[in-house]
Amino acid sequence: MSEVILETRSLSKVFGGQVALDKVELSAKAGKISAIIGPNGAGKTTLFNLITGVYPVSEGEIYFRGTLLKNIPAYKRAELGIVRTFQHVHLFGNMNVLENVMTGQHPRSRYGFLEAALRLPKAHREEEAISLRAMKYLNLVGLGMHAEQDALSLPLGQQKLLAIARALATEPQLLLLDEPGAGLNTLEKQELSDLIRRIRDTGVTVLLVEHDMPLVMGLAEWVTVLDSGQKIAEGTASQIQRDQRVISAYLGEEVE
Amino acid sequence: MLAKVKSKWAYFAVAALLIFLILIPFDWFLGQYKGLAIFIGLSTMVTVGLCLLIGYTGQVSLGQAAFYGLGAYFSAVLSKTHDVNPWLAMLIAAVATGGFAYIIGYPIFRLRGNYLAMATLGLGLIMWVLFRQLSQFTGGPDGMAGIPYLSIGSFVFDTSFKRYFLVWFFCLAILLISQNIVRSRTGRALRAVHGSESAAESIGINVDQFKVKVFVLSAVYASLAGSLFVHHLRFVSPQPFDFLASVKLVVMAVIGGLASIWGAIFGAGTTRILSDELLLRFGEWDIAIYGLILMLVMIFTPEGLFVKLKDVFTQWQLRHSQRETET
Amino acid sequence: MSADQFVQYFISGLTQGSIYALVGLGFTIIYAVTRIINFAQGEFVMLGGMLSFTLASSAGLPLAPALLLSVLISAAIGAIMYLLAIRTARRASVVSLIILTIGAAIFIRGIAGELWGVDFVRPPFFTGSSSISFLGAYIHPQALWIIGTTIVVTVLLHLFLSYTMVGKALKACAISPRAASLVGIDARAMALIAFAIAAALGAIGGVVMAPLTLTAYNVGVMLGLKGFVAASIGGFKSPILAVVGGILLGIVESMAVGVDWGPFTSAYKDAIALVVLLLILLLRSGRLAAEERES
Repeated sequence: MSEVILETRSLSKVFGGQVALDKVELSAKAGKISAIIGPNGAGKTTLFNLITGVYPVSEGEIYFRGTLLKNIPAYKRAELGIVRTFQHVHLFGNMNVLENVMTGQHPRSRYGFLEAALRLPKAHREEEAISLRAMKYLNLVGLGMHAEQDALSLPLGQQKLLAIARALATEPQLLLLDEPGAGLNTLEKQELSDLIRRIRDTGVTVLLVEHDMPLVMGLAEWVTVLDSGQKIAEGTASQIQRDQRVISAYLGEEVE
Repeated sequence: MLAKVKSKWAYFAVAALLIFLILIPFDWFLGQYKGLAIFIGLSTMVTVGLCLLIGYTGQVSLGQAAFYGLGAYFSAVLSKTHDVNPWLAMLIAAVATGGFAYIIGYPIFRLRGNYLAMATLGLGLIMWVLFRQLSQFTGGPDGMAGIPYLSIGSFVFDTSFKRYFLVWFFCLAILLISQNIVRSRTGRALRAVHGSESAAESIGINVDQFKVKVFVLSAVYASLAGSLFVHHLRFVSPQPFDFLASVKLVVMAVIGGLASIWGAIFGAGTTRILSDELLLRFGEWDIAIYGLILMLVMIFTPEGLFVKLKDVFTQWQLRHSQRETET
Repeated sequence: MSADQFVQYFISGLTQGSIYALVGLGFTIIYAVTRIINFAQGEFVMLGGMLSFTLASSAGLPLAPALLLSVLISAAIGAIMYLLAIRTARRASVVSLIILTIGAAIFIRGIAGELWGVDFVRPPFFTGSSSISFLGAYIHPQALWIIGTTIVVTVLLHLFLSYTMVGKALKACAISPRAASLVGIDARAMALIAFAIAAALGAIGGVVMAPLTLTAYNVGVMLGLKGFVAASIGGFKSPILAVVGGILLGIVESMAVGVDWGPFTSAYKDAIALVVLLLILLLRSGRLAAEERES
């Protein structure tokens, strides 16, 4: 029975007068692939932003590995083991592919200003380690041969893989993927699914937000459905596919 | 392949630069310009910090001359009025100036946008007023004279020739340190912040803290330059630390390249030489020309003039080597 | 400080603050519509004053046309600045735009220094210079002009933004540039108008102020700083708060000098603006950062 690695209780977020999330209760089991789906504007990305600390919570709590996440700034969460990718990729355009991934090692490395400024041996050793580990993640996503290229010279599909490699370099326990399949063709989506499973097999918990139904249904071991900021259903992929409320939400019809 | 070609030229350029720099102060070479060269070295030190600030945090300091002035006045007052060892005074000045930058930097950097620019502009103006007003410490508008030379043991830096090497030693040390930082984990974090703040934050980089660190670093560089400045002239007054001085520093940074380290020498050098020439020929128009330079560079080559020239050179060189392999 | 002195300093602060309010309005309009901080804003105040001097005193034009022409020419220069400098730098980064507008400010200042020299100039008073007695203090008629003009301009601006097509289009851009373009509002035309209006506002400030406080080629920087502080109080969104902020700043400055406490001699008066700015930043920093993220 695997433990619950992420849990939200009565989680709400209000922007101005607008309710983006309304008392959402969500949980993700460690080492599993979970998905959040829902029509546009359901609040999926907002949920991610709350978990990663980009927005403050209006009401409710988020628990990560049993610890309450309160007043922990966004940048600290990577250290804790929560990392995300973005819908619009957000690569570091002023670096090459390998450097992007090496930057992901930031929370797992220690040497600072002084060691860097004076080129102390400690800095050297850590750099070697960082470089090797980064290469490992790059190879995991299949981009090893592009290491020296400019990050932005890659096509979109590979850019998304690079973003995933960069996130993996932080050695996370929970990986949040924000629409990883958007803009990919069928073959790329298949490779993405395989990659996500490989990632899960290394022990990382994956939580993804996706619009592509076949992709989600083929991957996710647990699905939560949001609509207009509220959770309307959750269950296994096959349960969700047959749930009347979910179907109505997507079709925009009223539930009978 | 490109990387190898580039570094061959880079090494050559750096070696040539070093040889050139070593030869300048000799009278049979360019000795009559060694005074100017000292000022270029000092300006470079301040400009590097500014380049890092603008290039990596995307924030502009419009009052960098204030930190230059703080270093100068701290050193002057400590070493002359209070007989503190000049080296110690320089260290204290750097720490004090850096600390000051930290105190004002932290609240400002928590905001996004243009607040730092205006805040530093205001800071620069206020510092200038303080330098003039606190005459019991600073000597007021007429300044303070009689500041001692720097010395190591019995070796005194009492000639321009000796001070030239001192200044450029510091300058090159700062350039090297900056380069080391940029190529390190810290440098990657800085470039990440410049590339995408939200992505940088998501992988554990404390964006605000890094911005403040760069700001403090730039203040420390400026302070060191200010200290060397007063031990060179043995005199300090508020005049070189006014708003226009801060503007000129931005011009230097912009010409040199906003994320470029070695470009700072180019920026400082051309601006200093230009400003002397301009003053001679155009008198008061020099202010308008600085404004024009800032506008033109930002419109046409926002990454900086030197960086653009480097790119053009790299392109030419790439085509040239391609042609060679084709024949 | 006696009651008489209090009133005197209050009026002086109100007068000065009105100018800051106008500059702050200019900053706010440009930022709201284009998200650009125009560092040259203070220079338009300078231009307004300098031009009115040349036209009214040197060229001998009658006062009203001279003033009008000064404002119109300044507005035109603002428009030209937008067209030549800002529009040409397509999709420039925030930092490039800052340096660009600073460059423009320095350029304008430099040209002004060349054309008018470095000395202070004084255009003629609007209605003479015999002070009026009020609550134990003396108000110069020009000060009444300054305060009155600011009030009128603020009201007119509010009406313009709320009730005219162009004004409403500007407001739309301020609320959401994307939505505005979807309904057919031309963002670049709006930006041009915003720059022209902001320049005009600055120039109006300069034109009413110059007879009283004198003006010179280098007054733009300090005025720009203070107008920026005023606009910050309004969050660069609210014209009314910018006006209130500017007036408050003027009064606080004046009172600090009047109170004559410790080091607050008039030389330090300008430092107050900076202190206020830093206070605003400290107080707002948490809230503003969160707001920025959520937009």
